[in-house]
Amino acid sequence: MEYKVEAHRIMSISLGKIYNSRVQRGGIKLHKNLLVSLVLRSARQVYLSDYYSGACLNAAQSEREGNEWDITDSEREKFPPSTTECDRIESSEEPQQNERPEKEREYRENDDEVKSDQADCTSTLQQEQKQNSSLDSVAKVSSETPPETIDEPKESPSVSTVAESDSSPEADGESHQPPKTHVCSNRKRSAEKTESGDLPQKRTKVASSNAKEDEEAEEMDTSNVSNLITIFGSSFSGLLSKDGAKPESEAEDSGQICCDQMLKNLNPWSTAIVAF
Amino acid sequence: MKCFSRYLPYIFRPPSSLLSSSCHTEADIISTVEFNSTGELLATGDKGGRVVVFQREQESKNQPHRRGEYNVYSTFQSHEPEFDYLKSLEIEEKINKIRWLPQQNAAYFLLSTNDKTVKLWKISERDKRPEGYNLKDEEGRIRDPTTITSLRVPVLRPMDLMVEATPRRIFSNAHTYHINSISVNSDYETYISTDDLRINLWNLEITNRSFNIVDIKPANMEELTEVITAAEFHPNQCNTFVYSSSKGSIRLCDMRTSALCDNHSKLFEEPEDPSNRSFFSEIISSISDVKFSHSGRYLMTRDYLTVKVWDINMESKPLETYQVHDYLRSKLCSLYENDCIFDKFECVWNGTDSVLMTGSYNNFFRMFDRNTKRDVTLEASRENSKPRAILKPRKVCVGGKRRKDEISVDSLDFSKKILHTAWHPNENIIAVAATNNLYIFQDKVN
Repeated sequence: MEYKVEAHRIMSISLGKIYNSRVQRGGIKLHKNLLVSLVLRSARQVYLSDYYSGACLNAAQSEREGNEWDITDSEREKFPPSTTECDRIESSEEPQQNERPEKEREYRENDDEVKSDQADCTSTLQQEQKQNSSLDSVAKVSSETPPETIDEPKESPSVSTVAESDSSPEADGESHQPPKTHVCSNRKRSAEKTESGDLPQKRTKVASSNAKEDEEAEEMDTSNVSNLITIFGSSFSGLLSKDGAKPESEAEDSGQICCDQMLKNLNPWSTAIVAF
Repeated sequence: MKCFSRYLPYIFRPPSSLLSSSCHTEADIISTVEFNSTGELLATGDKGGRVVVFQREQESKNQPHRRGEYNVYSTFQSHEPEFDYLKSLEIEEKINKIRWLPQQNAAYFLLSTNDKTVKLWKISERDKRPEGYNLKDEEGRIRDPTTITSLRVPVLRPMDLMVEATPRRIFSNAHTYHINSISVNSDYETYISTDDLRINLWNLEITNRSFNIVDIKPANMEELTEVITAAEFHPNQCNTFVYSSSKGSIRLCDMRTSALCDNHSKLFEEPEDPSNRSFFSEIISSISDVKFSHSGRYLMTRDYLTVKVWDINMESKPLETYQVHDYLRSKLCSLYENDCIFDKFECVWNGTDSVLMTGSYNNFFRMFDRNTKRDVTLEASRENSKPRAILKPRKVCVGGKRRKDEISVDSLDFSKKILHTAWHPNENIIAVAATNNLYIFQDKVN
């Protein structure tokens, strides 16, 4: 249990560092932020594996989760069976999708490298293996929307129709998160409101809007994590859109790169939550 | 190891620093230290973009005890803060690295770099001045040509020695990311500049063109997993260089194989010890400095807790591993919180490649003798360093009873860190930068 607390603390510290690096003199340091994101990822791994070892998933799966980054081809094939869970989740996601689609849209606008081919678990895990996910999967996770939005990025209106996409295709393999986790995350969010006060105003608004949702009684620590993601993510997307004039992420723009980097950092984390 | 315990310390400070190190300005923090190839000159760069060059006094028979002390020779502002308007980013003027060029005439040349721009500086002496111009008078005012009735030839007259530094080349606009190292090639014609993702090869004469020889930027930045942390040319083979990564690996590349050296010739990597795995394993395995030995046979790398010596003929594991401050391993979490875990320590060889030196916290620095396998911890501090005094070895106690003179891990001052050190190429003289103070120690003469 103490590992979980420690992991959570480290994740918060890491997010704080990433945020503070934006205002550093001399620009964002790529090396330092990369290292911080690696710590973030390790902490999340421990945090999640610790949670799931005692949760609804069986031991075999939690072992796989622990090794998510080292997953081999053979192991990847074991994941599709959990597709059914995804469908369950989709149906319980509706309440949250209202505010998320907005973020999704903003992410997509800023991402000029949208991937459209991760329709199945395999490719998602491949992504994770490379310690990378497209920006869309962040949005995806945060709204727990089906991969449709990723598959057809051109359909930006589809973002707002996310709520209606309960009948998600099989391709949702990756979002086979147990229903409990997701539903309860909302409740935790209100607790997260008070955390790390240096995040911008937008965060509190997001937090409060989510507090209204229905929750289950069971406590979900991962909700803290997902909360931080969404909050942090939303603040970033807000900043990105405010920058407005900022062009589509030019690879050479280190500032943009680091924004992408931050979002990328959030992605695998969020994706893992969805995956499990 | 007895020679190291008999170092004579004396202290030099950059001219503009305040007297007490506890209230120094940030601009005075020394960010790089480098001896030139003969050891006659010692250059320091600081966060304020200034370079201070010290010169060793000529030894004189009259004062044999003042054996070659270093005095300030030249001070100049190398880099100024800049602003990148396109990206709305400030470019720090901090000098990241200084590298001397070998001396070819009476003038001295060095390369200094900040995050984005490399500059070639010429430091030359002037001790004669032409006098007796026809068209201008002694104060430099232009004379009215109609008043000139006769012509004379200007003659050179001696003047007070003046050392002037002029920028001879400015190599800019070649790096998108922050430059972390520069290295002059043994051909004395080219040099490399390295940022987080790319290494560029320059000709010292040509500033408007550079060649990219290593590029590890992924097509999709989201797939980034490692960055380049340092690079250096081989001391003798002008086609060979190495670069280290944040993942703890070193790659040796041969420029003869292809124009773009993305494929390494050798990869030096040690498998991670699973028993030491923690949240911070990746950070502490990131290599902060890589240096070839003078012979070119060995490589030394510094990561957060250790110094490793590699034989370039053996890629599978290092030849030797030295623990610098292993007592910090249990404190990684707090070091992560206060950002100390990101400190980039440098490491240096002595002239004969038999001793390694690197810095630590609390103004401690460590030396490792490769032959005797003995090591010593010394402290660079004003209280302990009176002129002619001998440096006393220090010890950090890790637990249990603390002996007298030992320091416990918890009382270490992590704000006093020694990141930059230099060793004279031929003699046992070392330069240690402790925040804004430069300490120069030399081996006692018999």
